[in-house]
Amino acid sequence: MIRKDTLLAWPMIAFMVLFFLAPLLLLLGISLRGAEGGWGIGNFVAFLDDPFERGVLVRTLLLGAKVTGLVSLLALPLVMLYWHAGPRLRGVILVCALLPMLTANVVRTFAWVVILGRNGPISQTMLALGLVDRPFSLLYTEMGLIMALAQIELPLLLLPVFSVLNRADRATLDAAEVLGAGRWRAWFSAIFPQIIPAVLAGWVLVFASATTSYVTQSVIGGARLIYLPRFVYREVGVLFQWPSAAAISILLLISTGIIMLGLTMLARHERLRAHG
Amino acid sequence: MTFNLSRRAFTLTALSALAAPALISPTKALAQSGRVVAATFPGTWEDAYRTILTPMVKEAGYDLTIAPALAQDQIAKLMASPGQPPYDALLVSPGQSAILIEAGLIEKIDPTKLKNWDKLAPMAQNEWGPYVTVEVNGIAYNPEVVEKPSGYKALFEDPQYAGQVAQIGFGSNTATMAWTEINKLYGGTYDNMQPVFDLIKDHLKDLIIATSGSNQMTMYQQGEVAVFMASTGNVAKLKELGMPAEFAHPESGSPAVPVSIHLVKGASDPDAVYAYMDAAISAAAQTQLGEAPTAMIPTNTEVPFSSVVAEYVTPEQLAAAVYPDWAAINKHRAEWTETFDRIVSQ
Repeated sequence: MIRKDTLLAWPMIAFMVLFFLAPLLLLLGISLRGAEGGWGIGNFVAFLDDPFERGVLVRTLLLGAKVTGLVSLLALPLVMLYWHAGPRLRGVILVCALLPMLTANVVRTFAWVVILGRNGPISQTMLALGLVDRPFSLLYTEMGLIMALAQIELPLLLLPVFSVLNRADRATLDAAEVLGAGRWRAWFSAIFPQIIPAVLAGWVLVFASATTSYVTQSVIGGARLIYLPRFVYREVGVLFQWPSAAAISILLLISTGIIMLGLTMLARHERLRAHG
Repeated sequence: MTFNLSRRAFTLTALSALAAPALISPTKALAQSGRVVAATFPGTWEDAYRTILTPMVKEAGYDLTIAPALAQDQIAKLMASPGQPPYDALLVSPGQSAILIEAGLIEKIDPTKLKNWDKLAPMAQNEWGPYVTVEVNGIAYNPEVVEKPSGYKALFEDPQYAGQVAQIGFGSNTATMAWTEINKLYGGTYDNMQPVFDLIKDHLKDLIIATSGSNQMTMYQQGEVAVFMASTGNVAKLKELGMPAEFAHPESGSPAVPVSIHLVKGASDPDAVYAYMDAAISAAAQTQLGEAPTAMIPTNTEVPFSSVVAEYVTPEQLAAAVYPDWAAINKHRAEWTETFDRIVSQ
């Protein structure tokens, strides 16, 4: 007996079970397979016991946090501009925010190879301004990688916030100003709380995307900055250690999952929801 | 409110669910009689094989689908789908061939099914699949930035190369061959790679470590590096793109690596794979593949070195080439890869 009002959801549920849950369980099963046969948590223990490998996990999570921080800083002025803009300018800002998403991640990444290189605009501009005495490269540096990832992931934070701003009540801002709040204080006390759930949702997306962005991490970060996605690829594509790769994938999933769950719970927090 | 799912609706849903994997599995859909799905290295190999070999295989009565994949990826995909190989034919080097043989993923060929078998050089008549070319490796350099390197040692000892050399880890065949040769120059052996690891540690600040061969090419094109370990084909490609690039043979001899086509165990139509192999070793195909940008060294004795190939390698240099011991490399490769990553990690 199936409830009729849930009937439309069944194809999606079946799809998720077949193509998400089942492969995930398969991955978990493979991760528990021992190198010499048998089953156990040896692959997890081996990874967590090794300071180098543990360091790769921590570095990956820190990369996500740094990118999320920079994206937030970049998004703030754009969000303020969007709020104060008229319908036409809002349309322009929205298109500009969406434009990067219309090109493939690979294309955006290779554009950054040109931008960050020693012959790229950053290096050449600083050289022309006399800020440096010779060309320099930001490729294969963490700073370059964070810059590239921040630009690539920026729309993931902007879009949910813009969506909330479109529905935000301007009367609350007027009320705050009438009650004596200055412009900034009025904005931060009346509008900012309304967009917090959207910001947290954006952070979840940016964090998850930055920590798992294999192409950008490899091309911009190079081989000396090792993050978990490339570590997983190495285990599968070079060492052919599928159980170990599966265990590392599960650990990446769990660690990013915990952070995402924390952010999601924060977004649902009663005090924040009260403002939303 | 509840809903009674009728038997007919349930049957239709179940059948749809069962059919779904077939609908979304392109390799399964491609695995048909009369068709060969051949894995080829991405880039120039892929383009050349698609353009040159597809019509030849078609003429033999089969459809050829070229699927680009790096050698290690080909193995990983085969291992991921035992019993349902995503490819019918592979294109790999001896390092990978040894793994494939050990894992039982490829089978020996029947040379009588290849019309061009007798035209192959004896060294190319491999029982596990014919060698279609020999890649000669060495040092690619930008003559506008650095002088021609005398060999591997100069890259570490001559200050003009500091900060100009790109290297990669042991996941790449080209890099692995270079590292093992450099190791020998500094007194190491396959069983003792410490000299090369010490060398890497000592020069780490001057080395640019890329993630793959193609990543190195990108860095070279952008002017980020002026030297990298490369095949003659890589240099030919850079020249074709208008880049200043030259090839230097290392003082210790150029590492050479044959490239072979293998018949995958469980291939959907082995006769189609033989038609593909035969086309790849034919004089007609190898004559075209010898020209830029592929500039492949022929293994068919009826095909002379093209003028482009002769720019980089003479038959004498090929005869003096170094053929690495892939069994020894495979024995240690995982351990070398891990050690390398730990040394270079920031």
